[in-house]
Amino acid sequence: MTTNEKGEVLIHVENLQKTFGKLHVLNGITTDICRGDVLVVIGPSGSGKSTFLRCLNLLEEPTGGHILFEGTDITDPKVDINLHRRKMGMVFQQFNLFPHMTVLRNMTLAPMKLLKKTKEQAEARALELLDLVGLKDRANAYPSQLSGGQKQRVAIVRALCMEPDVMLFDEPTSALDPEMVGEVLEVMKKLAQDGMTMVVVTHEMGFAREVGTRVMFIDEGVIQEQNDPQTFFTNPQNPRLQSFLSKVL
Amino acid sequence: MEAFWQSIALWWQSLCDQFTQCFIEDNRWEYITDGLLVTLEVTFFAVLIGIVLGFLLAIIRAAHEKTGKLKILNAIAHIYVTVIRGIPTTVQVMLAYFVIFVNIKDPIPVAILAFGVNSSAYVAEIMRGGILSVDAGQMEAGRSLGLNYTQTMKSIILPQVIKNVLPALGNEFIVLMKETSVSAFIGLNELTRGGDIIRGITYTDMVPLLTVALIYLVLVMIFSRGVSILERRLRASDH
Repeated sequence: MTTNEKGEVLIHVENLQKTFGKLHVLNGITTDICRGDVLVVIGPSGSGKSTFLRCLNLLEEPTGGHILFEGTDITDPKVDINLHRRKMGMVFQQFNLFPHMTVLRNMTLAPMKLLKKTKEQAEARALELLDLVGLKDRANAYPSQLSGGQKQRVAIVRALCMEPDVMLFDEPTSALDPEMVGEVLEVMKKLAQDGMTMVVVTHEMGFAREVGTRVMFIDEGVIQEQNDPQTFFTNPQNPRLQSFLSKVL
Repeated sequence: MEAFWQSIALWWQSLCDQFTQCFIEDNRWEYITDGLLVTLEVTFFAVLIGIVLGFLLAIIRAAHEKTGKLKILNAIAHIYVTVIRGIPTTVQVMLAYFVIFVNIKDPIPVAILAFGVNSSAYVAEIMRGGILSVDAGQMEAGRSLGLNYTQTMKSIILPQVIKNVLPALGNEFIVLMKETSVSAFIGLNELTRGGDIIRGITYTDMVPLLTVALIYLVLVMIFSRGVSILERRLRASDH
């Protein structure tokens, strides 16, 4: 396993298991995600990669194993997961913006409720972030008035409003029209360059190669191979990975 | 031609006579206005009970369907809805007055309770459908920001539910208001019975019945208008 010199272990995953009825989706995943890591997870559909990501903030409840986030075992039922989720931003394939709220309200809701920010503080921060992704002028628009790419950029900054320690991306560009993929990847790239710890499930091999610090291939619920992007793409060892890469590259 | 006009004049004269007889003599219009007030009173409080009870039932059932928790409460709610929806309203109202609350002589509170309970079962089903119709991603997005279940429900899910179910809910309350007319069976002096009393005294049918019909129609139209104004306001985000 590659470790990252940049920082301490942020998320430690230990023998993670997930079953849906008789279906074993995750069969013992063990890995460390360190501060500053950009871990890109790839794999065929149904491989368990999305489930792995969704287990990290317990949107899916693991059926076995442990996840230590900043030293706390969040799979322990006594732990208040809501407190830890504040520090784990998540971006979804389908954006999941709140359709009945303006962009600004989408972004200020959680900080005002949970971080006890005043409306002014929350809005100031939200506008700052919107400016970074070039959407300041859309602050008072409703989600239905935005394009897919704009929605996803809003979803990213909405998560950032909570000042998370790690950002989880669940196929963030899969629902986008091809011409809008670039603008979203650009934002993610900027985020990575600013040192954000990221776990990204994606089919964008270019992004994995260019931005990832580590690429992980999951199939049949286990990590088949992981390495730095350079080695991963030029010298894959696992026959499954070789066959997968030959199909997608 | 002369004969035609004459018959029109006669008809008009008799209509005016009937009108006077039905509403003016002995201040009989009070049967209508008093009845109208009772109808409005029963409808208003029954709607309140229907919303509160129905909302609770819907929350229980939707929470169970999404999380698998609250098994026993859900079973009770399910039986409640099945029983209430499976019995005609008229029978329910009579059961309430003549069997369950046999000691309460005033039919107004019994009617309010019976119609409220009856309505709650329909409201519950409407709201449950509304909650389930909101995309699961909305709950996930709320929870992933760190909001708990209740906060997410309150700020994110329910506002969307209310917007979605408003037309169906409005319809349910229109039905409820018209159905209060069956409470004549338990001797409640509401609008329909007000008209009936006048018919009994005056031996005329057309004027009192048409008057009652017209009042219901106007009430429903006013109510529908209110609902659609509310709907339009809530749709501000749709554009």
